Amino acid sequence: MNWLQRHIRPEQIRELSLLLLIVIAILVFGSLIDGYYTFRTFNRIASSVAIITVVAVGQTLVVLTRNIDLSVGSIVGFTAYFVGTLIASYNSINPLLAVVIAILLGAGLGVVNGALVAWGKVPAVVVTLGTLAIYRGVLVDLSGAKTVTTDSLPQWLIDLPLLNVVPIGSLDIRALFALALIIVVLFHLGASYLSFARRFYAIGSNPEAAQLIGLPLKGVVFFAFVICGALSGLGGFMMLARFGNITVEAGRGLELNVVAAVVVGGVNIFGGSGTVTGAMLGAVLIGTLEQSLFRLGISEFWLNAVLGLLILLAVASDAVILQRLRALWARAELKLIADAPKKGSQP
Amino acid sequence: MTLDREYASVPGSDGLGNVPILEIRGVTKRFDATQALDGVALALYSGEIHALLGENGAGKSTLIKIITGVHQPDRGQILLAGRPVLIRSAAEAQRLGVAAIYQEPLLFPDLNVAENIFISHQDRGAIVGWRRMFQEAEAILAELGVALDVRSPARGLTLAAQQSVEIAKAISMNVRVLIMDEPTASLSAHEVRELFKLVRDLKRQGVAILFVSHRMEEVFDIADKITVFRDGRLISTRRRDESTPQSAIADMVGREIDMLKARPSTARTDPILSVVNLGRQGVFEGVTFDLRRGEVLGFAGLIGAGRTDVGLALFGIEPATSGTITLAGKPVAVRSPREGMNLGIAYVSEDRRQLGLILPMSIFANVTLPSLRRFLNRFGLIRTGLERKTAESFRTRLAIRTPSVDVAVANLSGGNQQKVMLSKWLNTHPSILILDEPTRGVDVGSKAEVHAIIGELAAEGIGIIVVSSDLPEVLALSDRVLVMREGRQMAILDRAEADQESVMTAAMGQRPADSTNGRAL
Repeated sequence: MNWLQRHIRPEQIRELSLLLLIVIAILVFGSLIDGYYTFRTFNRIASSVAIITVVAVGQTLVVLTRNIDLSVGSIVGFTAYFVGTLIASYNSINPLLAVVIAILLGAGLGVVNGALVAWGKVPAVVVTLGTLAIYRGVLVDLSGAKTVTTDSLPQWLIDLPLLNVVPIGSLDIRALFALALIIVVLFHLGASYLSFARRFYAIGSNPEAAQLIGLPLKGVVFFAFVICGALSGLGGFMMLARFGNITVEAGRGLELNVVAAVVVGGVNIFGGSGTVTGAMLGAVLIGTLEQSLFRLGISEFWLNAVLGLLILLAVASDAVILQRLRALWARAELKLIADAPKKGSQP
Repeated sequence: MTLDREYASVPGSDGLGNVPILEIRGVTKRFDATQALDGVALALYSGEIHALLGENGAGKSTLIKIITGVHQPDRGQILLAGRPVLIRSAAEAQRLGVAAIYQEPLLFPDLNVAENIFISHQDRGAIVGWRRMFQEAEAILAELGVALDVRSPARGLTLAAQQSVEIAKAISMNVRVLIMDEPTASLSAHEVRELFKLVRDLKRQGVAILFVSHRMEEVFDIADKITVFRDGRLISTRRRDESTPQSAIADMVGREIDMLKARPSTARTDPILSVVNLGRQGVFEGVTFDLRRGEVLGFAGLIGAGRTDVGLALFGIEPATSGTITLAGKPVAVRSPREGMNLGIAYVSEDRRQLGLILPMSIFANVTLPSLRRFLNRFGLIRTGLERKTAESFRTRLAIRTPSVDVAVANLSGGNQQKVMLSKWLNTHPSILILDEPTRGVDVGSKAEVHAIIGELAAEGIGIIVVSSDLPEVLALSDRVLVMREGRQMAILDRAEADQESVMTAAMGQRPADSTNGRAL
């Protein structure tokens, strides 16, 4: 077993190569676009990444349990619009209360998804494809297709995305990106150190065995959808803060970006393995592509095609490359074990 | 059989006045028409290895599922250390100190070894102490003398290593009763020795072990007591030194022979199929036999012995990787079911629902499916009228009980479904017919009908292979019986030599004992 194999697991190679891919993408776009290496580019990418990341963290939990939530785009739009309307009507509302309402609203929509999947025994793809359309439909109907406009919002909300939380030299870490980073750190630690969170991995890894040792399968799946809904609600609030103008179309198609981020980030679409940090790296790559292709004047339809290609490549590489890496590691480990007694006999 | 007699057949105590750690009293379980367990009583003591023997379907698995809380008994009681308990789920069984290890361990491939060992512990707090968990896992594995990296994921561990993890898991939970259901089935001889070391260690620590295996030599190597099941009933419990492989086999097969009348032989002299040294890498090897026209060749052996795999290889579903197949004097290679069909081979699967029939489709559509090309008109459209006519002829010939051939197969009884499946393959006009478990899940009346049909087909000159776990059925139908065990051919017995004991002796891997010895109890 060489140094590399001792210190790095195949799954981590995945994340490292993603990092490399991001660097390459930035270098390529830097050579194609004049004035690419500016803080403006960074901020643009960062605020786009922030929303995808927060929702992708929730999606990661769902995918870990062998499910998928396609309704996240609609939940983001739903909460962005209704919290926007609420704030527009009550400009004096406590900012924190507004955030909490967004999260609860999202969680409530997640409850519907989770209950139908866990106890209704309807496959997640079907449930969330249905709610994707239903939530959007309800939104269009209730809103009367009106729009939330920036001038109806209080000043603090308009200032929020520009708020510079951590100035590093002349580089800004702005509020939305900082929030996303906090969420990622919290959930990464939680997923690594909370007994409860390990159940997400266990259930996705081998549901039959999980059932046999009495893990609450349905409860965990339900909970994953609720958290995903809650984080999508938070994402909705972030979208409101970022754009100010919210139409009934807000967040449409976001599920593609989010699922792409999660899958490209190395979360196994068949459940059981993957990290929140990986999902964030996936979101960074996608955010970079999105903003850079936009600046190159390439249509967003092409971006969608690129995202689709990335998903397919990620899943295919999971099946092929990761298998091989694992086999390589396992062989090295066997050799290590086989060598162990020999060493022991020569004190 | 009364309960009192059941109790009498089991030693109520071990003679030292100890209370059994696990006691089963008069447990009865019925699944629909099958009496899976009938008044079973069994006592298990600490530091004892107790083996369960029996043919497939004798009731061992049901008993294990009842002890581990997967099934609930219809009647009867389970006592742990003298106290009656209700075990309603596997999780509850684990809390009570009862754990089971299966042939295929149930690990979480994405979690690391340490986590797998401690996954069932609900008492380790809300926050995972990784360092402590790794240390404790390493300590348990070191105690077992197993070298494994506790930080690596369970994915990719060998089956033997996975079983070590399962045992470590059991130790971490302080199990009092450990059930091992065919743990050695896929292990190499060396791995079995290592496993047995661990099992003996557990025994010294006072764990009671219920050990299920089909390997006689292993049972007599490791068990202190041996209990034999047959047809849901406990036949005998003996100490190892009071038992012999022959007596155990005699208990397993019982005396109820001649329930089925033997079919008169219609075998002719010319072989239609010759198989020499047929094998499929890692599945079975060295299968050699001749099949004559009009002959019924029975394939006997326990489930997993490779009988079905030979059938799949002959038909080309999972082609053979070594050996030769000679059909009507010509060497052939069968690489796909299409080739098998073209060569005049038909395979009737054991799995009616998954592989055999398309349940929502009508009887006639199922019957004509493999030979659909013969039912096309010149425009390539299906001639439904001809399909119906053909199906009707089979309906009459095989006495398929249905109001019409338009009925969906799903609505038929098991026996009639089996007949539809037979029709489907007879319609390909095979010269060789492979029947895998032709009467599984079929009621007694239909079973006799299917047997009669098999006899008629043989009389027409078709060579028939019958794979069946129902030993009396194999004996009644077959001109000769090929016995397999763990992917190898153990014996081909002529009708005169083949009886329950000689077949079971070969299937269990024992040397055929002279019959007087085998029968003496």
